[in-house]
Amino acid sequence: MEPPERNRTSENASMRFEDAEKIILRWNSTASEDAREKMIFETDRQEADLYLQAVDEIQRSLSNASLSDDQSKATTIQIAMARLEDEFRNILIMHTAAVETESLTGSTHSRRSSTSSNFELEEELILNTEKLRELQHCESSDSSSYRSTSSIREMDLIPPEAISDLQAIAMRMISAGYLQECIQVYGSVRKSAVDSSFRKLGIEKLSIGDIQRLEWDALEGKIRRWIRAAKVCVRILFASEKKLCEQIFEVAETNIDDACFMETVKGPAIQLFNFAEAISISRRSPEKLFKILDLHDAWVDLLPDIEAVFDSKSSDSIRVQAAEILSRLAEAARGTVSEFENAILRESSGPVPVGTIHPLTRYVMNYISLISDYKQTLIELIMSKPSTGSRYSGDPSTPDMDLAELEGKTPLALHLIWIIVILEFNLEGKSKRYKDTSLAHLFIMNNVHYIVQKVKGSPELRGMIGDDYLRKLTGKVRQAATSYQRATWVKVLYCLRDEGLHVSGGFYSGVSKSALRERFKSFNAMFEEVHRTEAVWIVPDAQLREELRISISEKLIPAYRSFLGRFRGHIESGKHPENYIKYSVEDLETAVLDFFEGYPVSQNLRRRSQ
Amino acid sequence: MPATDYQGTSSAPFANIGRSIMSLRRDQVHVHSMEGSHDGAGHEVELEAFQKQVADMFQSLLAAAASASANDELLSLSWIRKLLDSFLSCQEEFRVLLYNKSQLLRPPMDRLIADFNERSVKALDVCNAIRDGIEQIRQWEKLLEIVLCALDNKNQRALGEGQFRRAKKALVDLAIGMLDDKDSGQTLANRNRSFGRNKDHHHRSVGHFRSLSWSVSRSWSAARQLQSIGSNLAAPRTNDIVASNGFAVPVYTMGSVLLFVMWTLVAAIPCQDRGLQVHFNIPRHFAWAAPLNTLHERILEESKKRERKNACGLLKEIYQMEKCSRLLSELADSVQFPLTEEKEVEVRQRVKELAQVCETIKEGLDPLERQVREVFHRIVRGRTEGLDSLGRGHNPE
Repeated sequence: MEPPERNRTSENASMRFEDAEKIILRWNSTASEDAREKMIFETDRQEADLYLQAVDEIQRSLSNASLSDDQSKATTIQIAMARLEDEFRNILIMHTAAVETESLTGSTHSRRSSTSSNFELEEELILNTEKLRELQHCESSDSSSYRSTSSIREMDLIPPEAISDLQAIAMRMISAGYLQECIQVYGSVRKSAVDSSFRKLGIEKLSIGDIQRLEWDALEGKIRRWIRAAKVCVRILFASEKKLCEQIFEVAETNIDDACFMETVKGPAIQLFNFAEAISISRRSPEKLFKILDLHDAWVDLLPDIEAVFDSKSSDSIRVQAAEILSRLAEAARGTVSEFENAILRESSGPVPVGTIHPLTRYVMNYISLISDYKQTLIELIMSKPSTGSRYSGDPSTPDMDLAELEGKTPLALHLIWIIVILEFNLEGKSKRYKDTSLAHLFIMNNVHYIVQKVKGSPELRGMIGDDYLRKLTGKVRQAATSYQRATWVKVLYCLRDEGLHVSGGFYSGVSKSALRERFKSFNAMFEEVHRTEAVWIVPDAQLREELRISISEKLIPAYRSFLGRFRGHIESGKHPENYIKYSVEDLETAVLDFFEGYPVSQNLRRRSQ
Repeated sequence: MPATDYQGTSSAPFANIGRSIMSLRRDQVHVHSMEGSHDGAGHEVELEAFQKQVADMFQSLLAAAASASANDELLSLSWIRKLLDSFLSCQEEFRVLLYNKSQLLRPPMDRLIADFNERSVKALDVCNAIRDGIEQIRQWEKLLEIVLCALDNKNQRALGEGQFRRAKKALVDLAIGMLDDKDSGQTLANRNRSFGRNKDHHHRSVGHFRSLSWSVSRSWSAARQLQSIGSNLAAPRTNDIVASNGFAVPVYTMGSVLLFVMWTLVAAIPCQDRGLQVHFNIPRHFAWAAPLNTLHERILEESKKRERKNACGLLKEIYQMEKCSRLLSELADSVQFPLTEEKEVEVRQRVKELAQVCETIKEGLDPLERQVREVFHRIVRGRTEGLDSLGRGHNPE
């Protein structure tokens, strides 16, 4: 056994045994008040060096000694080791301040673009008409204040002089066979330092039950904080602890620094991981998707560093758990998308009163727009096609999707299309609950149009849905518009038809005046009814509204003008023509402008045009 | 499947009994297709088989505990591993039993399964707590390694005061570390620089070591968690049994088995706020009721024994650690130097016993931890599958 190199004080090659023994005994803490109160390594450089020299001397003589004087030497060594253990602990404790969190978070920029929005939704999907809620769409505040730690960055946790003292002590303890004590002390002090840092980083000790009971808003915040904290933990905290172990136990065999590292860090690492695991296990509910994806992406990012820091055999279980967490998060993401799809199918609120956009439509379309933002991740996670027909085979009226037409699309794209399909299916169901079929068609027209607009508005989404399907949807909008017009206006225009008005005979006297009067009366009544009813209905999209009104006008106005032109004479030649010809063409033109505005109109149309 | 990872040192055939019964039945009956309108047909066989498997499992465990072989003593590491092994096969059979059964989507099964899933999730926290406890035991074992290192006589040198002091130090730390949570409160208070110096024993800060190693908050309680798992666990009513074509019964059975296993783990392994006040009100007509109750009673008896009353865990090996270390401690206090021949022999004997305990613990803890983790995984998997199938139905989770 060689004397330590850093022995500057003594020029003598070695100390006499008796002197060594004296030194050790002097510092036996049971021996004197002084020995108890003072710490060698705090006191004096010289004292420390002498002490170490003394230890070395005893060790050396122990290995050369005969059996007989072994006993006292062994005792002396034990005293020395006990002392060194205290000194070791003391040095560690003195330099164990929890690392300041400000110095922990770097200023490297965030990976996510600052325009990415975080979609915060109300809790469950709407379940009945009384509980219709506004859905909020808000920008997340975290992208601007997001300072991420993007790579391993080891810090010096303990100043170099202290490290060399620790090294020197560790060396003696290990060569005297007191390795376990050394590891124990090291582990307990450093572990409390790590725990302290954890608290500063806001890492909480939450059980799976705690997490299940949290409201989503609160949980979301915790996930965000956890992601930031986890990066710091793995890349800075754990990496630095590892470096520290390597430094202190550098002279020893390679496994020792590893044992100390695991002693320090295993518990905290598992505690950290438990949170992510708990999130991945929690109940599936649609609003969680995006945070789960954030967590997943952060974990993918972090895994290589976890593998790098925990690269030894004894940390197998940590790496295994990290991999398990990743696959659970992926599973959670998939399950949440499924749950979202199921929720759409289950959602059973009634249609909206005036045929406008249903909150479900808004929710779903906003949701899948956001899904397309996360396309990069989801395209890898979503691996199976949506199960479309067979699952619901017992059910007669089920949504259907012809997968054959959609060759070559990714599973993610198929799911997005499927989502639109089941949304439509749901909307169709809702529309059937309107008493008025015209309104039913209008409702479908509005909602499918909204879908189309949303798809067109997002290039990612449009790319995945594809223009073929988009054309189909647009066709449906047109079809619905046509159906609406038929449902409302056929009967009105029927009043203005030619047949049935002429009686046999000559040109002029061939018109049945009574029939004509009936016609005018019917037309007026019907038009008034339609006008009153449908003015309150809503077509939110301005362009669509305009187009629809123009389409109505194109049929209504010429028909009325022609009718008036041909038959007004007959009425005006009789009594009280004003009872039958209530409206001019201009009156009708103006009235059409009221349609789909959502405002109730006064009874008397005519006044406005005067 | 699971067998190779954590097979105990004995009784390989035991773990496969249940599995082979089920596969026998399966071959005979072929009932694992999608159920349409054939509810009830052919299920009695499966359901019976499951009940029998559970009964056999408990009987085996009881028998093992009563056997002369010291290995499988009640609450020994090896016995606990048997327990978990059988639990895992049970879970698997349960899963197979419920696979693809259309009953699951209808009342009352949808509600019963949802309840069962809730119970299972609560068991997850117990699994995590047990993992902590296992780590705790590892720490104690490491202290014992120091004792062994100190008193091991490999190089034939006479044991002197130094070695005994070293051993004593570790033994004192161990004694403190093994104090029940409530008692170690005072030691937690002294987290300052002089902690290492102000006691004669120079003990390491093992006391606060303990609470730091729990990965749950201070308010978490194993006792409460067990109560929660067992809440509203009652044998199914007749109309539920009929309405579910008998499937309500295995759900109840599995729930009871889950509760028992978690309870036993909490009894055996140290964890925060261990409490053993759980009642099993299992109707006697269940074949597994009697052996389960017997085991329950025997474990409770164990907990009331004078020498085990304040134990932080009923694991046999913990008791052995306590006993050995106490005896050694007394010995260390009583010896005069130089050692007499007699004393030397005694010391050697104690050390040998201690070495044996350490060996058993070292061998058994890692596999145990893996098993507990496997239980965790299976519960999660079962629940995910349950959630998936429920989601397809018409009930919110």
